[in-house]
Formats: sequence, structure tokens, C-alpha cells
Amino acid sequence: MVKVYSFDGCPWCDKVKKYLTARGVEYEVRDIEENADFAAECEKISGDLTVPVTTIDGKNFVLGFDKRKIDELLATA
Amino acid sequence: MSIYDFTVKTKRGEDKSLSDYRGKVLLIVNTASKCGFTPQFEELQKLYDAYKARGFEILGFPCNQFAGQEPGSNDEVQQFCKLNYGVTFTIFAKGDVRGETAQPLFKYLTAQKKFAGFDMNHPIAALLLDALQKNFPEYLAGDGIKWNFTKFLIDRNGEVVARFEPTTTPASIAKDIEQLL
Repeated sequence: MVKVYSFDGCPWCDKVKKYLTARGVEYEVRDIEENADFAAECEKISGDLTVPVTTIDGKNFVLGFDKRKIDELLATA
Repeated sequence: MSIYDFTVKTKRGEDKSLSDYRGKVLLIVNTASKCGFTPQFEELQKLYDAYKARGFEILGFPCNQFAGQEPGSNDEVQQFCKLNYGVTFTIFAKGDVRGETAQPLFKYLTAQKKFAGFDMNHPIAALLLDALQKNFPEYLAGDGIKWNFTKFLIDRNGEVVARFEPTTTPASIAKDIEQLL
């Protein structure tokens, strides 16, 4: 399952979500502002509290709205 | 009518009278966006750290009215957002800062200090102006808040002494704060 770490009011997060939806990819939203556990996970994955972080396995991730990199990540799944 | 007549909502939804800040130098900022102008968060924190002992407070008012409206969508603007952890100055409840639904405090502030244009030397100014002209030309008209990180400087008597647009960095107004302390 694809996970998108994000928070409300982050336009790039919305773009990632819209892009995944448009590609027909199912994903889970993990709000790092509302949930401290998700915030800790996000920091562990990317080393910072910057979002969107898109990941499948919690190791490889894409920071930001970068279609090419997101495509590459999805291709590894 | 003065700044001290206003009551605002804390993050927890409680009423807070600005008269509690009587005698302090205040910087009132609409912060909201954790994107685009994010460096301003760090710079504001530096100002707060430097001057809080001398009676300086920063009051941040998050607003979603500009969310999803980042200036430009190219490489010049970072395409991610950072959560504003680590900021120790006061952040109040989310609310509107422009238009009919604006909080009374912001209606007052924008009436006291009018819009005097952007500093076009700021790296993001051209992008911001372009985005506003294309998508929200009505934002450019009048004296309402144009974008996140518009800053109002209040002296110890509650007088609104200056307005700084998003294109003025917090670091560059340190001298204005010092003058009032």
C-alpha cells in the first residue's frame, strides 16, 4: 500500500494525492500534524518533518511533488 | 478604538484579549502556510529569540485562505512543505484574514496601514505578483492581506506603526523592532 505523509493546507500534498488518484493508485493518507506517531514515522523515513513523503516500504521515498520520481517508485512495487 | 480592544481565539478555542499584551512591542503575522515562504518561520523565530527578553512578542495567525495557491509551480519554488515545529512564539487559532469573513483584528490592521506595494527585489516577488494577477486579481485591489506572512508592527502604546508585505523578510525588520524596544 502506498502511504502519503502530509498535513492539511499543504498544496503539494494535495497534488500528490490527486496524481495518485488520477493514476488509479490506492493510497493511505498519514497526517503528521494530527498524529504524533505518523510524524515520528515521517521523520524516521526522510529525516525531517517535510511533506509530502510518498513511500511504499517505508525505506524508499519521494519527497515533494515530483511525478517522475513517483512513477519510478510505483514501478518498483 | 485600539489594538487592545480586540479579542482573539487561542489554538484551544479560548478567548484572549490583546490588552494582555499592553506595553509590549508586537509583531502580528498571518502565518498559515508552511510552504513557499517557510524560511520566514525560521527568521521570525530568530527575531523572537533575540528580543523577547526586552518585551517583544510575535502573534501568529494561521490562515488557509492562501493555501493551495503557491506562486508558480516550477523549480523556483520548493515543492514540499515543512511542519512548523520548533516555533515557540504564540500561534492562535486558524481563521480568515481577508475579505468579508476576515477576523476583525485584520480588518482593523489593514485599515490602519494600507498596502504600499511589494518589494520587487525579493526573489519571490515577481512570481507572487504574476500568480496574483493571473488567478486572484481581486486580491491585488484594495488594502486587504495579499498573501501569507504580512507583518504588522505595533509599538508599546498599541499604535500600528508599520506594515511589511510578504516580500519583506523578517530579518530585515530587526532594526525597526529595535527602535521600539
